[in-house]
Amino acid sequence: MKVLEARGVTKSFGGLKAVDGVSFGVDYGELVGLIGPNGSGKTTLINILSGHLAADAGEILVDGKPMRGLTPLRASRGGIQRMFQLTRVFRRMPALDNLVTAGCALGMALDAAQARARELIEELQLARVATLDAGHLSGGQQKLLEFGCCFMAQPKIALLDEPFAAVHPTMKEIMAGFIRRRHAAGQTFLIVSHDMPVIVELAARTICMNAGEVLADGETRKVLVNPQVIEAYLGGEAA
Amino acid sequence: MRSALQQRLRSELRTSLVLLVLVAAVPILVRNDYWLGVLIVSMYFALLAGGWNLLAGYTGQFSLAPATFAMLGAYGTGLLAYHWHVSPWLTIPAGILVAMVVGMVLAGIVMRLRGPYLALTTLSFAEIMRIVIGNSYGFTRGDLGLSIPTLMNDRLAWYYVFLAAVVAMQFGLYALLRSRVGLYLMAIRDDEIGAASRGVNTVFWKTASFTLSSALSGLAGVLYAYFSSLVSPELGLLLQTGLVICMVFIGGIASLAGPVIGAFLVYLTSESLRAVGGVQLIVFALLVILIARFFRDGLWGLARRILERPAR
Amino acid sequence: MLSLNIDLLANGLIMGSFYALMAIGLTLIFGLLQIVNFAHGEFYMVGAYAYTLAALKLGLPAWAGLPVAFAVGALVGWLTERTLMRPLYAGYRSWGPMKDEYAIVVTFALSLLLINLVDKVIGPYAVLGPGLVDVARIPLGPVMLTGQKLIATIIAFSTIIATALFIRYSLWGRQIRAVAQNRLGASLAGIDTTKASSIIFALSGALAALSGGLLAPIINTTPDVGSFPAIKSYVIVVLGGMGSIPGSIAASLILGVLESFGAVYISYDYRDAFGLVILIVVLLVRPQGLFGEKGREV
Repeated sequence: MKVLEARGVTKSFGGLKAVDGVSFGVDYGELVGLIGPNGSGKTTLINILSGHLAADAGEILVDGKPMRGLTPLRASRGGIQRMFQLTRVFRRMPALDNLVTAGCALGMALDAAQARARELIEELQLARVATLDAGHLSGGQQKLLEFGCCFMAQPKIALLDEPFAAVHPTMKEIMAGFIRRRHAAGQTFLIVSHDMPVIVELAARTICMNAGEVLADGETRKVLVNPQVIEAYLGGEAA
Repeated sequence: MRSALQQRLRSELRTSLVLLVLVAAVPILVRNDYWLGVLIVSMYFALLAGGWNLLAGYTGQFSLAPATFAMLGAYGTGLLAYHWHVSPWLTIPAGILVAMVVGMVLAGIVMRLRGPYLALTTLSFAEIMRIVIGNSYGFTRGDLGLSIPTLMNDRLAWYYVFLAAVVAMQFGLYALLRSRVGLYLMAIRDDEIGAASRGVNTVFWKTASFTLSSALSGLAGVLYAYFSSLVSPELGLLLQTGLVICMVFIGGIASLAGPVIGAFLVYLTSESLRAVGGVQLIVFALLVILIARFFRDGLWGLARRILERPAR
Repeated sequence: MLSLNIDLLANGLIMGSFYALMAIGLTLIFGLLQIVNFAHGEFYMVGAYAYTLAALKLGLPAWAGLPVAFAVGALVGWLTERTLMRPLYAGYRSWGPMKDEYAIVVTFALSLLLINLVDKVIGPYAVLGPGLVDVARIPLGPVMLTGQKLIATIIAFSTIIATALFIRYSLWGRQIRAVAQNRLGASLAGIDTTKASSIIFALSGALAALSGGLLAPIINTTPDVGSFPAIKSYVIVVLGGMGSIPGSIAASLILGVLESFGAVYISYDYRDAFGLVILIVVLLVRPQGLFGEKGREV
């Protein structure tokens, strides 16, 4: 059963086709990597999947049901949790309360959300900074915190946009370990990353985009040696 | 177990209650009608400042019309009392309801948008409401204002009515902000797109915050109308909104204690400087600019930094 | 009847040209920094006083008051940028989430400051500026205009055209447009983005002050005289699509004409309320403004 599916999704900005007829689906329990050179349309695609942008054409299906007029709020309540490339934490609120907010907003009671937030902040090794305002955390800690916010309730799918970019290796390992454990327990992921070693390690399946189109979609090892994928990367930039 | 946020709110509530207890004790020493009047007006502003702080300080929505909603509340009450001699038991809730409903409708229109639309629309709304009320001589008696019968002649009684309203507001805001609603409002303030992505219904809660803030302004206006037994468009002057903003920023925005401290401080200073002549607003405006530029959290923030240092 | 309508149309367009002169400055600032300057009306007020006092106190001829108003407005605008706007782009990434509120509070406080400062220094009484020309009435086809209105309109229109040409074709104008589109990109391309902001604020102040000077002989000047022109400009900026110069010029003329007809055919007392009604209708139906386009978010 597909948890999330895109059919012919297209989006242009001015004359530029940022996403051009993209179709793919993610099954329950899958962990899919999404790669592609800069400007290939990955973030735009994520923005459409999470309701932050409306597609010009095509449709998004959740659990096989077409979603019309998807907004960030409806996506979030429908179990699509996302992490932003540029961190969006609640800067003037203590770190722990960032998590509590995410829990309450998805229907948990305040007490339950606080208890869950404490567990999660331990697991992410942020307990030391739990009472600091999120704006005072380091960049990497903020990313980890936002990452945590996605998992306050059990999301159907977590869309992670460059979770590992500009994050200290220790914190990257905390995040990767978290992803591994959740994936083993059946959590579904779609992860955008430039970090090939991590993608190879985590994702069994990878989608490569270039110039707004899906260039390759399949087993990670095969996608990474696909001549077209290598061409797209070397043609655009050496990665 | 209390969160850091809840502890912070608790200490702010406590500080503001200490201040209000002192205010409650003032009439033991001061029986001068003039100064009691000054303190009553300070409490009127404390209600406006508390309401505006909920909206601007905690929800991040900078309305430029708190005084306008006080004016609307006062007219809601005043028109019923003046034209139809309706009982205060009905006019008081009616006045608050008018401010609330107008606030809700305006918020419903503007809150779907982000950015400076709210400030722009509320400012235009504020000036134009004043013109409309000022020009509707037949119904509102224009700039002359409406005189309505007062409810009590005892100034001391009014003093405690206003005080009770401020105390009730403080407890109400505390209960609201320490609940999940407080978290939603602050999340919207800090990052609206982020809040929606976490599942917060941003349009709903922004509208709710605006409505509640308008209701508080309305309450202030209604009480003031009966206290002064005069309802005039002057209540809605932009200058009054300017004073409210000065009070919140000087006292300390986004805290429960700040606006109340600011209201007393600013209004008492303003009255004391009246003899010197008109410089107080220049000083306040400069202070607000300096605070926004360099401190952000005003006197309360300054006090907290000093208080917290030896504790660690 | 027809001649009344032509008269209303002409007067509406004339008011619209003053509105445009005000609104362009506000639009420029919004286009550059995505903030609204709530002290814009006080730039107008400063210009009105500069024009009037130059003639009454310094004994300058009336026409010399206009460059004085322009220069004083430019100075106030430039000072505003220097002292208050820098935090918006100094560390503007970290200020990001608080940018709007900082700008609203600081400019609103500046407006309060300027009004009360002028009230204290010059006094609260109304003053009327000297006229630019003595000619009482000039028939222009079926429309009768006072000499002052005619000449002020001509100056307003020429200034608007000159400003539009300046932004479109001059080197400074191109740099400003580059900064408005992408501040970081422009700075990487070697454009002095801070200077561009200074120019915009100076220009914005100068244009508002000039319209204050032009209207000083028609409308009594008091310390709070700027609030109405400012509110009209806010409405216009939203109508015109937040940051579009042609949009705000068109919106100014539309608002001027609507008010002129509305004052006669609907209600004179409520003529100033039409703007709000239009504003609310536009926000409901077309929030990107009459002439704006939807932007990209996230």
